[in-house]
Amino acid sequence: MSMRDRLRTMGLGAFGLLLVIVSWEVIGRNQLLGRTFPALSDVLATIVDPARRGLFQRALEATIGSALRGFVFGSIIGFAMAALGVIFPPLRAGLDRLAAVMHAVPLIALGPFLIVTLSREGTPTAIATLAVVFNVFVATSAGLRVGNPLHHDVLTVLGAGSWERFRRLELPGALPFIADGLKLAAPAAVIGAILGEWFGAPRGIGIVIVSSLQNYQIDLLWSAALLGAMLSLVAFGAFSVLERWVVGRFR
Amino acid sequence: MTAALGGARTFASRYWGVLGILAIWQVYVSTQNLNSIVVPSPTAVFADVLTEPGAYLPHVWSTTWVAFVGLCVGVTLGIAVAVLSWLSPLLSGIVTPPAMVFRSVPVVAMIPVIARLLGYDIRTVLAITVIISFFPSFVFTLSGLRDLPAGSADVFSVLGSSRLTYLRRLALPSAVPNLLVAIRLSAANCVLAALVAEFLMGTQGLGYLFVRTRSEMDMARSWGAALVATVLSVSAFVLAARLEQWGRERWR
Repeated sequence: MSMRDRLRTMGLGAFGLLLVIVSWEVIGRNQLLGRTFPALSDVLATIVDPARRGLFQRALEATIGSALRGFVFGSIIGFAMAALGVIFPPLRAGLDRLAAVMHAVPLIALGPFLIVTLSREGTPTAIATLAVVFNVFVATSAGLRVGNPLHHDVLTVLGAGSWERFRRLELPGALPFIADGLKLAAPAAVIGAILGEWFGAPRGIGIVIVSSLQNYQIDLLWSAALLGAMLSLVAFGAFSVLERWVVGRFR
Repeated sequence: MTAALGGARTFASRYWGVLGILAIWQVYVSTQNLNSIVVPSPTAVFADVLTEPGAYLPHVWSTTWVAFVGLCVGVTLGIAVAVLSWLSPLLSGIVTPPAMVFRSVPVVAMIPVIARLLGYDIRTVLAITVIISFFPSFVFTLSGLRDLPAGSADVFSVLGSSRLTYLRRLALPSAVPNLLVAIRLSAANCVLAALVAEFLMGTQGLGYLFVRTRSEMDMARSWGAALVATVLSVSAFVLAARLEQWGRERWR
Protein backbone atom coordinates (compact mmCIF):
# COMPACT_ATOMS: atom_id res chain seq x y z
CA MET A 1 0.00 0.00 0.00
CA SER A 2 1.39 3.37 -0.93
CA MET A 3 1.84 6.18 1.58
CA ARG A 4 -1.06 8.09 0.04
CA ASP A 5 -3.45 5.13 0.25
CA ARG A 6 -2.46 4.54 3.83
CA LEU A 7 -3.10 8.16 4.77
CA ARG A 8 -6.45 8.00 2.99
CA THR A 9 -7.45 4.84 4.89
CA MET A 10 -6.43 6.37 8.20
CA GLY A 11 -8.24 9.62 7.40
CA LEU A 12 -11.47 7.85 6.48
CA GLY A 13 -11.25 5.64 9.58
CA ALA A 14 -10.67 8.63 11.84
CA PHE A 15 -13.62 10.34 10.17
CA GLY A 16 -15.81 7.28 10.81
CA LEU A 17 -14.87 7.16 14.49
CA LEU A 18 -15.36 10.91 14.83
CA LEU A 19 -18.80 10.55 13.23
CA VAL A 20 -19.78 8.00 15.91
CA ILE A 21 -18.51 10.24 18.72
CA VAL A 22 -20.24 13.37 17.36
CA SER A 23 -23.56 11.60 16.77
CA TRP A 24 -23.41 10.09 20.27
CA GLU A 25 -22.91 13.60 21.68
CA VAL A 26 -25.62 15.21 19.52
CA ILE A 27 -28.19 12.46 20.13
CA GLY A 28 -27.52 12.53 23.87
CA ARG A 29 -27.42 16.32 24.18
CA ASN A 30 -30.77 16.75 22.40
CA GLN A 31 -32.27 13.62 23.95
CA LEU A 32 -33.22 12.33 20.50
CA LEU A 33 -33.40 8.79 21.88
CA GLY A 34 -34.97 9.79 25.15
CA ARG A 35 -33.61 10.40 28.61
CA THR A 36 -31.87 7.05 28.80
CA PHE A 37 -29.29 7.94 26.13
CA PRO A 38 -26.85 10.42 27.73
CA ALA A 39 -24.34 12.58 25.86
CA LEU A 40 -20.80 11.20 25.66
CA SER A 41 -19.43 14.26 27.50
CA ASP A 42 -21.78 13.59 30.44
CA VAL A 43 -20.68 9.97 30.60
CA LEU A 44 -17.00 10.95 30.52
CA ALA A 45 -17.61 13.64 33.15
CA THR A 46 -19.13 10.97 35.41
CA ILE A 47 -16.10 8.74 34.91
CA VAL A 48 -13.61 11.44 35.89
CA ASP A 49 -15.81 12.91 38.65
CA PRO A 50 -13.60 12.94 41.79
CA ALA A 51 -16.61 12.01 43.94
CA ARG A 52 -16.94 8.75 42.00
CA ARG A 53 -13.23 7.97 41.80
CA GLY A 54 -13.23 5.65 44.80
CA LEU A 55 -16.26 3.74 43.53
CA PHE A 56 -14.85 3.16 40.05
CA GLN A 57 -11.40 2.34 41.38
CA ARG A 58 -12.70 -0.35 43.76
CA ALA A 59 -15.02 -1.71 41.06
CA LEU A 60 -12.25 -1.87 38.45
CA GLU A 61 -9.83 -3.51 40.87
CA ALA A 62 -12.38 -6.21 41.72
CA THR A 63 -13.34 -6.89 38.10
CA ILE A 64 -9.75 -6.90 36.83
CA GLY A 65 -8.78 -9.23 39.67
CA SER A 66 -11.57 -11.70 38.92
CA ALA A 67 -10.94 -11.52 35.18
CA LEU A 68 -7.20 -12.09 35.65
CA ARG A 69 -7.66 -15.05 38.00
CA GLY A 70 -10.28 -16.52 35.68
CA PHE A 71 -7.96 -15.98 32.72
CA VAL A 72 -5.08 -17.81 34.41
CA PHE A 73 -7.16 -20.72 35.77
CA GLY A 74 -9.12 -21.03 32.54
CA SER A 75 -5.99 -21.02 30.38
CA ILE A 76 -4.36 -23.72 32.50
CA ILE A 77 -7.49 -25.91 32.47
CA GLY A 78 -8.13 -25.37 28.75
CA PHE A 79 -4.51 -26.11 27.89
CA ALA A 80 -4.42 -29.21 30.11
CA MET A 81 -7.62 -30.56 28.53
CA ALA A 82 -6.23 -30.05 25.03
CA ALA A 83 -2.88 -31.64 25.97
CA LEU A 84 -4.75 -34.59 27.49
CA GLY A 85 -6.53 -35.12 24.17
CA VAL A 86 -3.19 -35.24 22.35
CA ILE A 87 -1.45 -37.53 24.83
CA PHE A 88 -4.46 -39.91 25.14
CA PRO A 89 -6.17 -39.77 21.71
CA PRO A 90 -9.11 -42.02 22.76
CA LEU A 91 -10.23 -39.28 25.15
CA ARG A 92 -10.29 -36.64 22.43
CA ALA A 93 -13.86 -37.06 21.09
CA GLY A 94 -15.32 -36.92 24.59
CA LEU A 95 -13.30 -33.83 25.51
CA ASP A 96 -14.52 -32.05 22.37
CA ARG A 97 -18.15 -32.77 23.24
CA LEU A 98 -17.62 -31.80 26.87
CA ALA A 99 -16.13 -28.45 25.87
CA ALA A 100 -18.97 -27.79 23.41
CA VAL A 101 -21.65 -28.58 25.99
CA MET A 102 -19.90 -26.55 28.71
CA HIS A 103 -19.80 -23.64 26.30
CA ALA A 104 -23.52 -24.03 25.59
CA VAL A 105 -24.59 -24.03 29.25
CA PRO A 106 -26.01 -20.57 29.88
CA LEU A 107 -23.60 -18.93 32.32
CA ILE A 108 -26.47 -17.13 34.04
CA ALA A 109 -27.86 -20.54 35.04
CA LEU A 110 -24.62 -21.35 36.87
CA GLY A 111 -24.46 -18.05 38.74
CA PRO A 112 -26.97 -18.81 41.49
CA PHE A 113 -25.47 -22.28 42.00
CA LEU A 114 -21.89 -20.96 42.22
CA ILE A 115 -22.93 -18.29 44.72
CA VAL A 116 -24.15 -21.01 47.08
CA THR A 117 -21.32 -23.50 46.56
CA LEU A 118 -18.35 -21.13 46.18
CA SER A 119 -19.02 -17.65 47.51
CA ARG A 120 -20.15 -14.25 46.32
CA GLU A 121 -16.50 -13.26 45.87
CA GLY A 122 -15.56 -16.43 44.00
CA THR A 123 -18.43 -16.50 41.49
CA PRO A 124 -17.03 -13.87 39.07
CA THR A 125 -13.70 -15.72 38.93
CA ALA A 126 -15.45 -19.05 38.36
CA ILE A 127 -17.60 -17.73 35.51
CA ALA A 128 -14.59 -15.97 33.93
CA THR A 129 -12.71 -19.28 34.17
CA LEU A 130 -15.49 -21.15 32.37
CA ALA A 131 -15.63 -18.50 29.64
CA VAL A 132 -11.85 -18.81 29.09
CA VAL A 133 -11.59 -22.62 29.14
CA PHE A 134 -13.57 -23.10 25.93
CA ASN A 135 -11.57 -20.58 23.88
CA VAL A 136 -8.19 -21.88 25.04
CA PHE A 137 -9.22 -25.53 24.66
CA VAL A 138 -10.51 -25.11 21.09
CA ALA A 139 -7.49 -23.05 19.97
CA THR A 140 -4.92 -25.31 21.64
CA SER A 141 -6.38 -28.56 20.33
CA ALA A 142 -6.57 -27.11 16.82
CA GLY A 143 -2.95 -25.96 17.15
CA LEU A 144 -1.62 -29.25 18.50
CA ARG A 145 -3.13 -31.09 15.51
CA VAL A 146 -1.47 -29.07 12.75
CA GLY A 147 2.00 -30.60 13.23
CA ASN A 148 3.51 -31.89 9.99
CA PRO A 149 3.43 -35.73 10.08
CA LEU A 150 6.78 -35.78 8.27
CA HIS A 151 8.49 -33.82 11.05
CA HIS A 152 6.75 -36.09 13.51
CA ASP A 153 8.32 -39.15 11.84
CA VAL A 154 11.77 -37.53 11.58
CA LEU A 155 11.82 -36.82 15.32
CA THR A 156 10.63 -40.36 16.10
CA VAL A 157 13.33 -41.88 13.90
CA LEU A 158 15.92 -39.71 15.62
CA GLY A 159 14.80 -41.27 18.88
CA ALA A 160 12.57 -38.58 20.39
CA GLY A 161 10.00 -39.79 22.88
CA SER A 162 6.45 -38.48 22.93
CA TRP A 163 7.33 -35.81 25.52
CA GLU A 164 10.35 -34.65 23.54
CA ARG A 165 8.21 -34.53 20.41
CA PHE A 166 5.52 -32.55 22.21
CA ARG A 167 8.09 -30.06 23.50
CA ARG A 168 10.08 -29.63 20.31
CA LEU A 169 7.45 -29.99 17.59
CA GLU A 170 3.82 -29.92 18.64
CA LEU A 171 3.98 -27.19 21.26
CA PRO A 172 5.97 -24.63 19.20
CA GLY A 173 3.70 -25.35 16.22
CA ALA A 174 0.62 -24.74 18.37
CA LEU A 175 1.84 -21.45 19.87
CA PRO A 176 0.33 -19.15 17.19
CA PHE A 177 -3.03 -20.90 17.67
CA ILE A 178 -2.76 -20.66 21.45
CA ALA A 179 -1.97 -16.95 21.15
CA ASP A 180 -5.08 -16.54 18.98
CA GLY A 181 -7.14 -18.42 21.58
CA LEU A 182 -5.76 -16.22 24.39
CA LYS A 183 -6.66 -13.13 22.35
CA LEU A 184 -10.31 -14.27 22.23
CA ALA A 185 -10.22 -15.50 25.83
CA ALA A 186 -9.06 -12.16 27.29
CA PRO A 187 -12.29 -10.22 26.56
CA ALA A 188 -14.28 -13.37 27.41
CA ALA A 189 -12.68 -13.30 30.88
CA VAL A 190 -13.78 -9.68 31.35
CA ILE A 191 -17.37 -10.45 30.24
CA GLY A 192 -17.41 -13.56 32.47
CA ALA A 193 -16.26 -11.53 35.48
CA ILE A 194 -18.91 -8.84 34.85
CA LEU A 195 -21.68 -11.44 34.41
CA GLY A 196 -20.53 -13.25 37.55
CA GLU A 197 -20.79 -10.02 39.53
CA TRP A 198 -24.44 -9.60 38.59
CA PHE A 199 -25.33 -12.32 41.07
CA GLY A 200 -24.38 -10.22 44.04
CA ALA A 201 -20.60 -9.90 44.24
CA PRO A 202 -19.59 -7.39 46.94
CA ARG A 203 -18.07 -5.02 44.35
CA GLY A 204 -17.15 -4.76 40.69
CA ILE A 205 -18.17 -3.14 37.41
CA GLY A 206 -21.01 -5.66 37.00
CA ILE A 207 -22.52 -4.64 40.33
CA VAL A 208 -22.31 -0.94 39.46
CA ILE A 209 -24.08 -1.72 36.14
CA VAL A 210 -26.91 -3.67 37.77
CA SER A 211 -27.47 -1.31 40.70
CA SER A 212 -27.44 1.80 38.52
CA LEU A 213 -29.86 0.03 36.15
CA GLN A 214 -32.25 -0.60 39.02
CA ASN A 215 -31.84 2.90 40.50
CA TYR A 216 -32.26 4.65 37.16
CA GLN A 217 -28.83 6.34 37.39
CA ILE A 218 -28.34 6.70 33.65
CA ASP A 219 -24.96 8.45 33.62
CA LEU A 220 -23.54 5.99 36.12
CA LEU A 221 -24.93 3.03 34.15
CA TRP A 222 -23.32 4.21 30.92
CA SER A 223 -20.04 5.09 32.64
CA ALA A 224 -19.73 1.65 34.18
CA ALA A 225 -20.68 0.01 30.87
CA LEU A 226 -18.12 2.16 29.01
CA LEU A 227 -15.42 1.22 31.53
CA GLY A 228 -16.31 -2.47 31.12
CA ALA A 229 -16.16 -2.15 27.32
CA MET A 230 -12.80 -0.33 27.52
CA LEU A 231 -11.46 -3.04 29.82
CA SER A 232 -12.35 -5.77 27.34
CA LEU A 233 -10.95 -3.69 24.44
CA VAL A 234 -7.66 -3.18 26.28
CA ALA A 235 -7.46 -6.90 27.10
CA PHE A 236 -8.13 -7.74 23.45
CA GLY A 237 -5.60 -5.16 22.24
CA ALA A 238 -2.84 -6.36 24.56
CA PHE A 239 -3.25 -9.96 23.47
CA SER A 240 -3.48 -8.95 19.79
CA VAL A 241 0.02 -7.48 20.15
CA LEU A 242 1.22 -10.67 21.84
CA GLU A 243 -0.37 -12.78 19.10
CA ARG A 244 1.30 -10.77 16.36
CA TRP A 245 4.67 -11.27 18.02
CA VAL A 246 4.12 -15.02 18.53
CA VAL A 247 2.94 -15.51 14.93
CA GLY A 248 6.01 -13.63 13.68
CA ARG A 249 8.34 -15.63 15.87
CA PHE A 250 6.97 -19.19 15.68
CA ARG A 251 5.20 -19.59 12.34
CA MET B 1 -26.06 -57.39 19.80
CA THR B 2 -22.50 -56.54 18.84
CA ALA B 3 -23.83 -53.59 16.87
CA ALA B 4 -25.65 -52.32 19.94
CA LEU B 5 -22.51 -52.83 22.00
CA GLY B 6 -20.42 -50.99 19.41
CA GLY B 7 -22.96 -48.19 19.37
CA ALA B 8 -22.84 -47.90 23.14
CA ARG B 9 -19.05 -47.83 23.01
CA THR B 10 -19.03 -45.05 20.41
CA PHE B 11 -21.54 -43.14 22.50
CA ALA B 12 -19.42 -43.57 25.64
CA SER B 13 -16.22 -42.49 23.87
CA ARG B 14 -17.97 -39.36 22.61
CA TYR B 15 -19.91 -38.43 25.68
CA TRP B 16 -17.84 -39.70 28.62
CA GLY B 17 -17.10 -36.12 29.64
CA VAL B 18 -20.74 -34.99 29.69
CA LEU B 19 -21.88 -38.22 31.37
CA GLY B 20 -19.08 -37.82 33.91
CA ILE B 21 -20.28 -34.33 34.85
CA LEU B 22 -23.85 -35.64 35.26
CA ALA B 23 -22.56 -38.51 37.44
CA ILE B 24 -20.48 -36.15 39.62
CA TRP B 25 -23.54 -33.90 39.97
CA GLN B 26 -25.75 -36.84 41.07
CA VAL B 27 -23.16 -38.18 43.53
CA TYR B 28 -22.48 -34.69 44.88
CA VAL B 29 -26.17 -34.08 45.58
CA SER B 30 -26.73 -37.45 47.25
CA THR B 31 -23.58 -37.50 49.39
CA GLN B 32 -23.58 -33.86 50.52
CA ASN B 33 -27.19 -34.28 51.55
CA LEU B 34 -27.88 -30.83 50.12
CA ASN B 35 -31.28 -29.29 50.30
CA SER B 36 -32.88 -29.46 46.85
CA ILE B 37 -33.33 -25.67 47.05
CA VAL B 38 -29.56 -25.38 46.63
CA VAL B 39 -29.09 -28.03 43.95
CA PRO B 40 -31.72 -30.47 42.69
CA SER B 41 -30.45 -33.86 41.52
CA PRO B 42 -30.07 -34.41 37.78
CA THR B 43 -32.68 -37.18 37.91
CA ALA B 44 -35.23 -34.79 39.43
CA VAL B 45 -34.45 -32.20 36.74
CA PHE B 46 -34.72 -34.69 33.87
CA ALA B 47 -37.92 -36.09 35.38
CA ASP B 48 -39.50 -32.65 35.50
CA VAL B 49 -38.59 -31.87 31.88
CA LEU B 50 -39.87 -35.25 30.65
CA THR B 51 -43.09 -35.39 32.66
CA GLU B 52 -44.23 -31.80 32.14
CA PRO B 53 -42.96 -30.65 28.77
CA GLY B 54 -46.04 -28.43 28.49
CA ALA B 55 -44.64 -26.08 31.13
CA TYR B 56 -41.52 -25.51 29.02
CA LEU B 57 -42.84 -25.45 25.46
CA PRO B 58 -44.24 -21.90 25.26
CA HIS B 59 -40.95 -20.56 26.65
CA VAL B 60 -38.84 -22.72 24.34
CA TRP B 61 -40.91 -21.42 21.45
CA SER B 62 -40.53 -17.78 22.55
CA THR B 63 -36.74 -17.99 23.01
CA THR B 64 -36.25 -19.93 19.76
CA TRP B 65 -38.39 -17.50 17.83
CA VAL B 66 -36.63 -14.38 19.15
CA ALA B 67 -33.18 -15.87 18.61
CA PHE B 68 -34.08 -17.02 15.08
CA VAL B 69 -35.68 -13.75 13.97
CA GLY B 70 -32.81 -11.77 15.53
CA LEU B 71 -30.28 -13.97 13.74
CA CYS B 72 -32.06 -13.52 10.39
CA VAL B 73 -32.39 -9.73 10.75
CA GLY B 74 -28.81 -9.35 12.00
CA VAL B 75 -27.40 -11.49 9.19
CA THR B 76 -29.45 -9.65 6.55
CA LEU B 77 -28.28 -6.27 7.84
CA GLY B 78 -24.70 -7.58 7.98
CA ILE B 79 -24.86 -8.70 4.34
CA ALA B 80 -26.48 -5.41 3.27
CA VAL B 81 -23.85 -3.23 4.95
CA ALA B 82 -21.06 -5.51 3.65
CA VAL B 83 -22.35 -5.23 0.06
CA LEU B 84 -22.70 -1.44 0.35
CA SER B 85 -19.15 -1.21 1.73
CA TRP B 86 -17.92 -3.42 -1.09
CA LEU B 87 -19.58 -1.22 -3.69
CA SER B 88 -18.23 2.00 -2.17
CA PRO B 89 -14.62 2.10 -0.91
CA LEU B 90 -15.40 5.48 0.64
CA LEU B 91 -18.21 4.04 2.78
CA SER B 92 -16.10 1.02 3.61
CA GLY B 93 -13.27 3.26 4.86
CA ILE B 94 -15.68 5.14 7.11
CA VAL B 95 -17.70 2.17 8.39
CA THR B 96 -15.01 -0.45 8.98
CA PRO B 97 -13.04 1.13 11.89
CA PRO B 98 -16.12 1.89 14.06
CA ALA B 99 -17.45 -1.59 13.23
CA MET B 100 -14.18 -3.11 14.48
CA VAL B 101 -14.46 -1.14 17.73
CA PHE B 102 -18.13 -2.04 18.28
CA ARG B 103 -17.42 -5.65 17.40
CA SER B 104 -15.12 -5.91 20.42
CA VAL B 105 -17.67 -4.39 22.80
CA PRO B 106 -18.99 -7.08 25.16
CA VAL B 107 -22.64 -6.96 24.03
CA VAL B 108 -23.88 -9.33 26.73
CA ALA B 109 -22.48 -7.10 29.46
CA MET B 110 -24.20 -4.14 27.75
CA ILE B 111 -27.67 -5.71 27.98
CA PRO B 112 -28.61 -3.50 30.97
CA VAL B 113 -27.82 -0.37 28.94
CA ILE B 114 -29.86 -1.59 25.96
CA ALA B 115 -32.70 -2.61 28.30
CA ARG B 116 -32.82 0.88 29.82
CA LEU B 117 -32.75 2.40 26.34
CA LEU B 118 -35.43 0.31 24.63
CA GLY B 119 -37.57 -0.68 27.59
CA TYR B 120 -38.22 -3.96 29.34
CA ASP B 121 -39.87 -5.91 26.56
CA ILE B 122 -39.27 -8.36 23.78
CA ARG B 123 -37.97 -5.67 21.39
CA THR B 124 -34.89 -5.37 23.59
CA VAL B 125 -34.25 -9.12 23.43
CA LEU B 126 -34.65 -8.95 19.66
CA ALA B 127 -32.32 -5.94 19.37
CA ILE B 128 -29.64 -7.78 21.34
CA THR B 129 -29.78 -10.88 19.12
CA VAL B 130 -29.65 -8.62 16.04
CA ILE B 131 -26.53 -6.85 17.35
CA ILE B 132 -24.89 -10.16 18.30
CA SER B 133 -25.32 -11.59 14.78
CA PHE B 134 -24.74 -8.37 12.80
CA PHE B 135 -21.01 -7.88 13.37
CA PRO B 136 -19.75 -11.37 12.49
CA SER B 137 -21.86 -11.53 9.33
CA PHE B 138 -20.74 -8.04 8.25
CA VAL B 139 -17.04 -8.79 8.83
CA PHE B 140 -17.07 -12.28 7.29
CA THR B 141 -19.21 -11.34 4.27
CA LEU B 142 -17.02 -8.35 3.50
CA SER B 143 -13.83 -10.43 3.65
CA GLY B 144 -15.51 -13.04 1.41
CA LEU B 145 -16.55 -10.39 -1.12
CA ARG B 146 -12.98 -9.12 -1.26
CA ASP B 147 -11.21 -12.45 -1.37
CA LEU B 148 -11.65 -13.23 -5.09
CA PRO B 149 -9.23 -14.85 -7.52
CA ALA B 150 -6.79 -12.27 -8.92
CA GLY B 151 -7.86 -11.01 -12.33
CA SER B 152 -11.48 -12.10 -12.04
CA ALA B 153 -12.66 -8.48 -12.05
CA ASP B 154 -10.77 -7.97 -15.33
CA VAL B 155 -12.42 -11.03 -16.90
CA PHE B 156 -15.84 -9.66 -16.03
CA SER B 157 -15.12 -6.15 -17.29
CA VAL B 158 -13.57 -7.48 -20.52
CA LEU B 159 -16.77 -9.47 -21.07
CA GLY B 160 -18.64 -6.20 -20.61
CA SER B 161 -20.54 -7.03 -17.43
CA SER B 162 -21.52 -4.36 -14.93
CA ARG B 163 -20.28 -4.22 -11.36
CA LEU B 164 -23.68 -5.44 -10.15
CA THR B 165 -23.49 -8.50 -12.41
CA TYR B 166 -20.00 -9.12 -11.08
CA LEU B 167 -21.39 -8.91 -7.55
CA ARG B 168 -24.30 -11.24 -8.28
CA ARG B 169 -22.43 -13.81 -10.37
CA LEU B 170 -19.10 -14.04 -8.61
CA ALA B 171 -18.56 -12.01 -5.45
CA LEU B 172 -21.76 -12.92 -3.59
CA PRO B 173 -21.66 -16.67 -4.32
CA SER B 174 -18.00 -16.78 -3.30
CA ALA B 175 -18.81 -15.02 -0.02
CA VAL B 176 -21.45 -17.60 0.97
CA PRO B 177 -19.01 -19.96 2.76
CA ASN B 178 -17.66 -17.04 4.81
CA LEU B 179 -21.18 -15.96 5.68
CA LEU B 180 -22.01 -19.49 6.81
CA VAL B 181 -19.02 -19.43 9.17
CA ALA B 182 -20.46 -16.22 10.65
CA ILE B 183 -23.85 -17.88 11.08
CA ARG B 184 -22.24 -20.88 12.80
CA LEU B 185 -20.43 -18.51 15.18
CA SER B 186 -23.57 -16.45 15.95
CA ALA B 187 -26.37 -19.04 16.14
CA ALA B 188 -25.64 -20.39 19.63
CA ASN B 189 -24.62 -16.93 20.88
CA CYS B 190 -28.01 -15.56 19.82
CA VAL B 191 -29.76 -18.15 21.97
CA LEU B 192 -27.46 -17.49 24.94
CA ALA B 193 -27.76 -13.69 24.65
CA ALA B 194 -31.57 -13.97 24.42
CA LEU B 195 -31.47 -16.01 27.64
CA VAL B 196 -29.40 -13.40 29.49
CA ALA B 197 -31.76 -10.64 28.33
CA GLU B 198 -34.84 -12.63 29.36
CA PHE B 199 -33.20 -13.44 32.67
CA LEU B 200 -32.43 -9.82 33.38
CA MET B 201 -35.70 -8.30 32.23
CA GLY B 202 -38.14 -11.08 33.03
CA THR B 203 -40.42 -10.81 30.03
CA GLN B 204 -40.91 -14.29 28.62
CA GLY B 205 -38.85 -17.23 27.38
CA LEU B 206 -36.55 -19.74 29.04
CA GLY B 207 -34.44 -17.10 30.80
CA TYR B 208 -37.63 -15.78 32.39
CA LEU B 209 -38.83 -19.29 33.30
CA PHE B 210 -35.46 -19.81 35.02
CA VAL B 211 -35.84 -16.71 37.25
CA ARG B 212 -39.55 -17.06 37.94
CA THR B 213 -39.38 -20.70 39.04
CA ARG B 214 -36.32 -19.88 41.15
CA SER B 215 -38.21 -17.24 43.06
CA GLU B 216 -41.01 -19.79 43.52
CA MET B 217 -38.42 -22.28 44.89
CA ASP B 218 -39.31 -24.74 42.13
CA MET B 219 -35.67 -25.70 41.64
CA ALA B 220 -36.22 -28.77 39.47
CA ARG B 221 -38.04 -26.62 36.92
CA SER B 222 -35.54 -23.77 37.20
CA TRP B 223 -32.64 -26.11 36.46
CA GLY B 224 -34.84 -27.78 33.86
CA ALA B 225 -35.10 -24.42 32.08
CA ALA B 226 -31.29 -24.18 32.13
CA LEU B 227 -31.03 -27.74 30.81
CA VAL B 228 -33.51 -27.11 28.00
CA ALA B 229 -31.67 -23.88 27.18
CA THR B 230 -28.38 -25.79 26.94
CA VAL B 231 -29.97 -28.33 24.58
CA LEU B 232 -31.41 -25.45 22.54
CA SER B 233 -28.06 -23.68 22.16
CA VAL B 234 -26.26 -26.94 21.31
CA SER B 235 -28.95 -27.66 18.68
CA ALA B 236 -28.58 -24.17 17.24
CA PHE B 237 -24.85 -24.74 16.93
CA VAL B 238 -25.22 -28.20 15.38
CA LEU B 239 -27.83 -26.99 12.88
CA ALA B 240 -25.68 -24.01 11.89
CA ALA B 241 -22.63 -26.28 11.52
CA ARG B 242 -24.66 -28.63 9.27
CA LEU B 243 -25.80 -25.67 7.20
CA GLU B 244 -22.19 -24.53 6.87
CA GLN B 245 -21.05 -27.98 5.75
CA TRP B 246 -23.86 -28.21 3.19
CA GLY B 247 -23.13 -24.70 1.90
CA ARG B 248 -19.42 -25.40 1.66
CA GLU B 249 -20.09 -28.34 -0.65
CA ARG B 250 -22.70 -26.46 -2.64
CA TRP B 251 -20.76 -23.17 -3.16
CA ARG B 252 -17.17 -24.33 -3.43
